[in-house]
Amino acid sequence: MFQNSGLSLDQAPPISVVFRFFLAGSLWGIAAGIWLFFAGAPALEPSTPEALILTHMLTLGVMLSFMLGALFQMLPVLAGVALHDPVKAAIRSQYPILFGTLFLLSAFATASGALYAFALLFLGIGLLPIAARMLSRLYRLPSHSPSSRGMGFSLYNLLLLVAVGGWMLALLGGWMQRGDLPALKQLHLDLGLLGWIALLIVSVSFQVIEMFYVTPPYPKRYARWMPALLTGTLTVEFVAALNAPVLEPWIESFAAILLMVHALLTLRRLSMRQRPLTDATVWFWRLGMGALAAAMLLLVVGNLTDLSTSLTMVLYVLYTSFALSVVLAMAYKIVPFLTWFHLNAQGYFTAPMMHEVIHPQNAKRHLALHSTTVFVALVAAFDPRLWPLAGSLLCASFAWIAVNIYRAWHLYLHVQKTGERFDMGSFS
Amino acid sequence: MQISNYMTHEHRSCDGLFAEAEKLAASGEWDAAEKAFLDFANETLKHFKKEEEELFPAFEAKTGSTEGPTQVMRFEHEQVRGLVGKIAEAIEKQDRDAYLSLAESMMILLQQHNMKEEQMLYAMCDRVLPPAEKSDLVEKMEKVEL
Repeated sequence: MFQNSGLSLDQAPPISVVFRFFLAGSLWGIAAGIWLFFAGAPALEPSTPEALILTHMLTLGVMLSFMLGALFQMLPVLAGVALHDPVKAAIRSQYPILFGTLFLLSAFATASGALYAFALLFLGIGLLPIAARMLSRLYRLPSHSPSSRGMGFSLYNLLLLVAVGGWMLALLGGWMQRGDLPALKQLHLDLGLLGWIALLIVSVSFQVIEMFYVTPPYPKRYARWMPALLTGTLTVEFVAALNAPVLEPWIESFAAILLMVHALLTLRRLSMRQRPLTDATVWFWRLGMGALAAAMLLLVVGNLTDLSTSLTMVLYVLYTSFALSVVLAMAYKIVPFLTWFHLNAQGYFTAPMMHEVIHPQNAKRHLALHSTTVFVALVAAFDPRLWPLAGSLLCASFAWIAVNIYRAWHLYLHVQKTGERFDMGSFS
Repeated sequence: MQISNYMTHEHRSCDGLFAEAEKLAASGEWDAAEKAFLDFANETLKHFKKEEEELFPAFEAKTGSTEGPTQVMRFEHEQVRGLVGKIAEAIEKQDRDAYLSLAESMMILLQQHNMKEEQMLYAMCDRVLPPAEKSDLVEKMEKVEL
């Protein structure tokens, strides 16, 4: 009965499910840094193969990995949706996505039709079943919170995003003629960056900001309707992309304003938090939301007047800073907590405290490195000689989080091997 | 929404007490921190008692299940009780780093526990229990003492 009604509470997936996605995301971040180091400014110029490769390393590589890891962990907690056999489900989506991404990057570099086809096939196999499964479980929930509703809408946008991506690949590969490529590209970008990545972050923030930092809640009606409004806007954009591409910038601007409002509401909440400590994660959130507000403002301005190449690059850097900052904010909470939580639940007396897994000083140093990366990348938009430095810093930043995740995993296994255990028989 | 409103309100008020104790411990005001933490611990443990002695049995009686969600919630209550003891030790030793580290674990543990209760268990209680029984339950829970 409980499974059917979505009420399954004994559901935290094994720690390896989350860590495998987070570690993969970090390795992609290192790869993106190396790519930026060698490719330089062309990696930020719209529509060059170098830029397509960098963007997809960051979105399919880094963001998708962290977001799937977080979804596996958070769906049971936020929405009572536990997936059956999560380890198998994780592996079944992670490897096809990995190969699909590698095929896609190679396809961008070589413009080979066969590689595009393989990319589409593998990404489809990796993404569609898991997204559809999560979405259908969410859909069947008897009651919704703003978070679960928002997650559902963001997964719906992900499905549309993959479909539009597939359509574009079909046009590029010459298997299909219908559709205007620039209009579809615009739609693909908006579905991915605004409808999937940003909306998932918005949905998580509805819950996480209030609860982890003890802040006033988001306005009720706003939290209830925002995900639907954003998704509705993007659905209208979908129709416009097919029939009246000239309307797309206006619709996109409306979506951008919604996200700008969210960023400002979140910054306001963080400044009203009752928990007094300013740990690194608060600043990662602030940096992320500040960058989102600025990026969305620039997006709207760019739709009213043409942006210079440098400002277009600034927009790219700001949006990326938003997404990566929030990923790091979440990772620095989730990784130490899960290490402690799983060991403690397994009854180990020697379960390390969160600060023993990753010390707050370590996270603060990473914050300094990450902020420097953002700053250098923003300056590089005006002085291209700095792109290799920005690439090195990006690489170092992801190496930093990769080492932290690896160490946490290592510590987890070490305690499991050597720790003394309390008999939990009376509770299980 | 009677059960949800009543219990969720208690969660939020415990969060406030928790933040207050953490603020005092962070600034090294140990005597005040001890008192504030005691307030938080008492309120939290009383809330658990209300659930374990009144709400969960009512839910279990209605749904015929004692092994489902309520058992997981009881297990998590035990985890929180374990942390309460450890934080009290940290206060006694005036160990700021240990306090803040344990507080972080406590906060996330409690929040994910609260999310599950608020979004699923309380919502279920509100759906399956008849209105009269809910009023009666709230009245009984009001009377629970530590």
